[in-house]
Amino acid sequence: MADEATRKIVSQIPLLKTNSGPRDKELWVQRLREEYLSLIKYVENNKAADNDWFRLESNKEGTRWFGKCWYIHELLKYEFDMEFDIPVTYPATAPEVAIPELDGKTAKMYRGGKICLTDHFKPLWARNVPKFGLAHLMALGLGPWLAVEIPDLISKGIIQHKEQQGS
Amino acid sequence: MADWEEIRRLAADFQRVQFTESVQRLSERNCIEIITKLVEEKKLDVVHTLDGKEFITPSQISREIREELYAHGGRINVVDLQKIINVDLVHVESRVNEVVKSERGTRIVLGQLITEHYLEQVCEEVNDKLQEAGQVNITELSKTQQLPADFLTQELSARLGRLIDGHMDQFTGLIFTQNFINRQKAKIRGLFSSITRPTPVNNLIGQYGLQDNLLYSLLEELVNSGRVRGSVVGGRQDKAVFVPDVYCRAQNAWVESFLTHNSYLEFESLSRLGIPDPLNYIKKRFKDRKLLFLQSVCVDAAILDQLEASVEEAVSSETWIDLQLLLPSCLSFDDSATLINHVVHSMHVQSSVRILGTAVISEKFFSSCLALFDDIMQPKAQAEVKSGPVLLLSEDDVKLASVIAESSSTKRDKREERRKKASEGSGSVRAGAGGNAREIRTRKTKKKNRREEESDDENATTQSKPAEPVFLSVQEIMEVLEKRVCDCPEETLELIAHELVRPLSRAYREMVYSLFLSSTSASPSAEKRRHTAKELQEEMNTLYANVRALERGTKHFPDDVQLHMVKHILKSVCSDLTNVMITFLSDDHKTIMDNLSSITAEMRMKILAKLPDEIKAPLIKVNSSLNGKSIEEFLCHVEAAAEQCGIMIKKGDKKKEKQVLSIHRQTLMEQLQAAVDEALVLHLAVLLLFQQHTHCMLLAPGRCVSNIIHTLQSKLPQDQYELLMQYHTLVVKQLVGKKAEQMDGESEGSAEELMNLTNNIKELVFAPRKTSSFDK
Repeated sequence: MADEATRKIVSQIPLLKTNSGPRDKELWVQRLREEYLSLIKYVENNKAADNDWFRLESNKEGTRWFGKCWYIHELLKYEFDMEFDIPVTYPATAPEVAIPELDGKTAKMYRGGKICLTDHFKPLWARNVPKFGLAHLMALGLGPWLAVEIPDLISKGIIQHKEQQGS
Repeated sequence: MADWEEIRRLAADFQRVQFTESVQRLSERNCIEIITKLVEEKKLDVVHTLDGKEFITPSQISREIREELYAHGGRINVVDLQKIINVDLVHVESRVNEVVKSERGTRIVLGQLITEHYLEQVCEEVNDKLQEAGQVNITELSKTQQLPADFLTQELSARLGRLIDGHMDQFTGLIFTQNFINRQKAKIRGLFSSITRPTPVNNLIGQYGLQDNLLYSLLEELVNSGRVRGSVVGGRQDKAVFVPDVYCRAQNAWVESFLTHNSYLEFESLSRLGIPDPLNYIKKRFKDRKLLFLQSVCVDAAILDQLEASVEEAVSSETWIDLQLLLPSCLSFDDSATLINHVVHSMHVQSSVRILGTAVISEKFFSSCLALFDDIMQPKAQAEVKSGPVLLLSEDDVKLASVIAESSSTKRDKREERRKKASEGSGSVRAGAGGNAREIRTRKTKKKNRREEESDDENATTQSKPAEPVFLSVQEIMEVLEKRVCDCPEETLELIAHELVRPLSRAYREMVYSLFLSSTSASPSAEKRRHTAKELQEEMNTLYANVRALERGTKHFPDDVQLHMVKHILKSVCSDLTNVMITFLSDDHKTIMDNLSSITAEMRMKILAKLPDEIKAPLIKVNSSLNGKSIEEFLCHVEAAAEQCGIMIKKGDKKKEKQVLSIHRQTLMEQLQAAVDEALVLHLAVLLLFQQHTHCMLLAPGRCVSNIIHTLQSKLPQDQYELLMQYHTLVVKQLVGKKAEQMDGESEGSAEELMNLTNNIKELVFAPRKTSSFDK
């Protein structure tokens, strides 16, 4: 799965220990804490590598997440909004990330703008429950999807740069 | 444990982390691109190192160069510098040039940066070495210092007085201390003062360890100042030779004294003395003296005078002189010959003298010697004329004859034979004095041998004219001369004798010839001997019939016996026939024949050689068929020849044959009547009996007798045959007995028996009819 660089990045993300979903009161807090630590670490790493590519925040309970992600192609920055909910069966089930903007523009997407993750991702995630967290979801799920789909969409002319769109 | 508070805090942290500036990072290749761009736009002046990891400013390079130069003791290779600084060589070189320009005393030599300081150091080193060794070679220095010799020479000579204490030889590139020069000078002075003979300078250099580059200049100085007496020959090279004056003086003195004492100079002895070109040396040295230059010697006028005087004397006194005694002993044969020739020519007496080796003989002396032989020649010539007139055929005839058939070996045989004959003719009675005859013969052959030896190595002309009547051999001439001319050494005598042989034999031949001519014209016997043509023809025909009849006789015998008989006939009757024919023909051509029967095959050949070609050819065939095996063949040739020569031969003449038969029988009868010898009696009797019974003539050699008897067996009555056989065996026994030299006594009985039988046999032959009739 994935290339060498991705694998390296993933290996630097701390693994999680607590196996609990949003319904487990005490344990969820603990899980959420581990999620945050892991995300902080991932973002720090990205920044340090000059490879920052998303912004993310959650609601108070940590069950709903939203933010932005971007991709730089030919010196132009394409930015998209994204959102996802923590499923009830989390962490056994991986969250489904959605980019509403791109809904209907690509075949690799479910209704409502949910991206269609690769066939590799799900078994990989299933194997690593509960060690994988949200940081892993970003690194292994959304990141590669963007890297594959965005240049393709741009080349097809389906998405255009905002400024160019504006002008 | 964890509560929501903490979660909230963590969420805030997360936000904070997300919003912090991400680090702006430039990758390495970006940096390089930026710098190259800057350098391109001349906004920055830096040089990157070879590994591309560092950039360095030019001024830093210059500083590093200076530091490295110092660290390496004032001398560093630019290439090494480049390795140390690790920048491209172009930058290093440009900086180095800048450094050289900016700093005084620093220079680049052979790609090396050298400071003044370093050079001073080198000079000090050189000086140390110089003081130690006395001399220093710049080429060697340049090798050890690895600096060009020119540069070193320049730098060293600039510091010669200041840092280096010595002298420099500009040509050879050597630096010496004064001490060293003085030492060498002393050495050379001593060495060359002591030399007494020419010595190659090179050897001395090797032997005494002299400095060859110093040597020549010092030696020249010494020679010029007169301290050393001598001269150097051959320049300043390897071949140079020092010749001391002492030696030259001694050499000249020796040559001078030798010439004055001996009146000649040998070139070889001069070269032994070490004079390279004796000829020119002598010419230069004795310009004013008259010298005669020969091949290996030059001769002074004194010797010439002496020689001239003695030749003069020989001429005037009509004697001879051997100049060998007067000539220098070292003269080669050629040189003495040229010298004597020169003398004789310069005196203009060559017509009145003869030069034989080193002896000069006056022509008059020579003719007086010739005169000595006149009285010996006369009687000898007469004897020769008597002995062998055929030999006096002129030389041309002989040549022709020799061309036709003979090789040189047979010629020699012939000569020997002829000489034998001559000796027999001239030398007393032949039969009685056998010992005497042999003595004569051996003496002759001995002389002949000597003569042959001489002719082999001396002159080929005698060999080509073998028939030339020989007067006297050299030895004989010498003997005569020895008797008449006293006080003459053997060698001179021999030379004179050799010289005399030709004219003497010529004179002798002339004399013999004239004598012979006079004798033949005078003698009446020659006239008598001539036959008229008719007589000859008659004789030829008789002989011819004879041969035919005899040939028929041989047919009665088996082949092997026949062969013997044929040969016998060919040798006897046929030879006679040929001789008659040849005599007849040669009469026509004025050739003189002595005795018919004595003409041998060779003599025939010789006579034939003289005859005209068309007659000669058939006759030669006849002659050669005499040696053949067939009478038929011979007769054929005879007929052809006779036709050619115009002689009539009647072929089938019955009358003639009958006549011949009867004549033959008659002669045999007469001979038998007279015969006493038993073998002869038997032979004749057998022949007669054969003729009686076969009516064929027979002529057979003695050894065929038994065969004839055998043939007669069938024709004779038994008793006659037995008688013959008995007689034959007795005769054979007697002959064998004689051969074995048995005692007479033993064969006495058989001898008596023989006597009786002889008469019986004779009767048997003389009265054949009667006896045979009685038997019947």
